[in-house]
Formats: sequence, C-alpha cells, structure tokens
Amino acid sequence: MNSPAAPFDFHRCLVACAQGDRRALQALYDHEGARLLGVARRIARDDATAEDIVHDAIIRIWTRAASYDPARGSARGWIYSITRHLALNSIRDTRRETVLTDADTETASTLHGRVDDLDLWSGSAKIYRCLEQLQPAPQRCILHAYVDGCSHAEIAGLLGAPLGTVKAWIKRSLKALRECLE
Amino acid sequence: MKPDSAEELDSLAGEYVLGTLSPEQYAAVAERLHTDPALRAAVDAWEARLLELTALSTPQPPSPRLWRRIQRSLDELPAPRTQTRLWQRLGLWQGLSAAGLAASLLLAFILLTTPPSTTEYLVVLVAPNSQAPGWVVQASDSHMIELLPLGQDTVPDGMALQFWTKGEQWRAPVSLGLVKPGEPYRVPLQSLPPLEANQLFELTLEKAGGSPTGLPTGPVKFIGRAVKVI
Repeated sequence: MNSPAAPFDFHRCLVACAQGDRRALQALYDHEGARLLGVARRIARDDATAEDIVHDAIIRIWTRAASYDPARGSARGWIYSITRHLALNSIRDTRRETVLTDADTETASTLHGRVDDLDLWSGSAKIYRCLEQLQPAPQRCILHAYVDGCSHAEIAGLLGAPLGTVKAWIKRSLKALRECLE
Repeated sequence: MKPDSAEELDSLAGEYVLGTLSPEQYAAVAERLHTDPALRAAVDAWEARLLELTALSTPQPPSPRLWRRIQRSLDELPAPRTQTRLWQRLGLWQGLSAAGLAASLLLAFILLTTPPSTTEYLVVLVAPNSQAPGWVVQASDSHMIELLPLGQDTVPDGMALQFWTKGEQWRAPVSLGLVKPGEPYRVPLQSLPPLEANQLFELTLEKAGGSPTGLPTGPVKFIGRAVKVI
C-alpha cells in the first residue's frame, strides 16, 4: 500500500511510449501493473476480468500515449482514468441491474475496515482528510462508488438506505468534497 | 442535452468519474466530452481530486502470462497510430504530391547539368506550402549524405533547422542533426540502415539546440523523398 520509494516519472514514460519505446511501456507495467490490477480487480470482482481490463488498458495507454495532454492532468491520473473507465465499462452492462450476492457484499464490506486504517487516513492525500469530514454513510457512498464501482442501487442495498437518499448523499458529498479540496 | 448550470455540470462530471451514472447517462457524457470543453475540464478536475482513492485497492501482482499476452497484442497492432501528428497529416502529403512536378523538374535539371558521378540517391526538399525547392540531398554511397542549400534561408533567433529522416518501415523519424541555413551539411549514416528509395527527409524548425523530445515538434520547412538515380 505504501508509495514507491523512488519516484516514477509517468510523464516521461508516456513520452517514450509515444515514440514507440516498448521498454518504457514494460517499465510502466512493472511499476504500476499490480496497482492497476488491484483497482480493476476491486471493480470487476473477478480475476480473469481484471486481467482483461489491465490488458486493454496497457494497449490503450500504448496506442494513445501521444494523445496524452499534460495540461489536462497528471500522467499517472491519465493511466488510472483509462483503467478505471475500462473497468466501469466492463461491469456497466452486466452487473448494474443485478442484485449483489453475499460474496459481493462481503467484498464490499471489507472496505469499511480499510477506510478506518489509520495509515491511510494519515496519508498526505487531502482527499482523505476531506472524506473524513463527511458523515459515515455519505462517505461510504463515495467509496463504494469510486473504489468498488457500485451503482446507486448496489450502494442502497449495502447501506440499507432508500435509493433516493443515496443519490442525494452522493450529490451533496461531491459538492462538499469539491469545496473542501478547493 | 439541456444546458446545465455550473453546479449541475460539476455534479454530472463528478458522477461520471465516480461511476454512478446510468449506462445511458454515462454514454451521453462520454460523447459530450469530445465537444464540451467545460464538461471536460470539470471531469479532469474530478479525476485529479479522486485519484488518490485508488490507493484503497490492494495491489494484486499480475500473473506472468498477462505481460506475454500484452506483448502478443502489441505485436499484432497495425502500424503505430502514435506518430500521426507530423507524419500523417493529410495536408502535408497533398502538398507533397503537388510538389512532385516541381521536384522532378528540378531533379531533371540537376541530372542534366551535373557531370556523371557516383550519386545513387537524390532528394529535393521543398517547402510544404509553396513547393519551392530549398535543399537537395545527395548520397554518393549508402553511408554518407550531403545536404546542399539551393538558396539563402534564414531562421528566427533562438530557433534552428533540424534535419530528419525516416525509412518507410521505420517506426519514427531519426534526427540527423542541426543544419545552418545556407550552408552545406554532410552526415555519415553509419548508425542508420542503408538508404532506401522513398526514404523521407525533412527539415523542421525547432528551438535552438534541437527538438527536446527527439522527434520533430516544430513546423516542417522542407520535405522530400529519396529517388534512386539510375
């Protein structure tokens, strides 16, 4: 979970990928592959699907490296954004309308323990300090959505809250987070 | 989609990044991102705000076969789409084909007026817009080329002309160094594959010291393809 000791230059890596340097892509994969797979696995909840997602993400990073625009955000953010949206797309059609199974719920419920992990909360990322200021239920909405890829209905099921309430919590939480992060 | 207030736009962007939009809403936002800079900026901001939450997912070492699979997919990719900016611009090639006539006339002139020599390849480099010939490249063997100015060119202060070449099967252009306007320039080609017909040569305007990326970044000033001299 800890950040790597040596900083990895994601931007330079993408520039090299854009020039056709496969070693740069492999360096990126070696450095970030496990974390990307972790993100994809958490959303897809299936090992094989998660590897499919990371496969597609790495290919997309390679073919689109030249289109990465530093003015729009960090290179690392670009890489994670590609991976997360591929993961969200992969589950969007298949899972959103289904009810979470017990096993899924179990996976999701482990989140709460993690969120309470002091090491994480004392991390330098400001988003954690801002999340901490939310009420527990709205906080879980944001985390279930972003980290677990849960839909409104899934979150409502997990929290035992009405769908409309979950939707309102999410809207209000986003607003509060934005104000806190400004 | 109806126009949104700033607040609605930001909420939409936030839920797009969060992943809680319905499939229909998600697809609509993804489509709209191509044309709506305000929405794009809002999405970019949310991606950055929430990025550190990815640290909550436990890393999972990929199986060894995943990288092998990625490599196979990379091998099967069609010609790279990553070098499109400079080398695949339609206008450039349209200009080049129009320049063909000017180039072949000049080539004929050079061939008729120069004494027989061992020159094997010739390239006339023309300006992409005016098609005015500016430089000639000649190679008397496959390992040394000469770049000869046809006129006195100037470059703005703080800028330089950089000389590039790219064979048809090469993945990316290679720099042959910085060129002084109006002065002949000789380049050994030992480190490159032998010259081939149709090999592309060009001069681009770069910052003094040359392109920082190792690839052409500035405008093309002169461009042409190698012709084998029979």
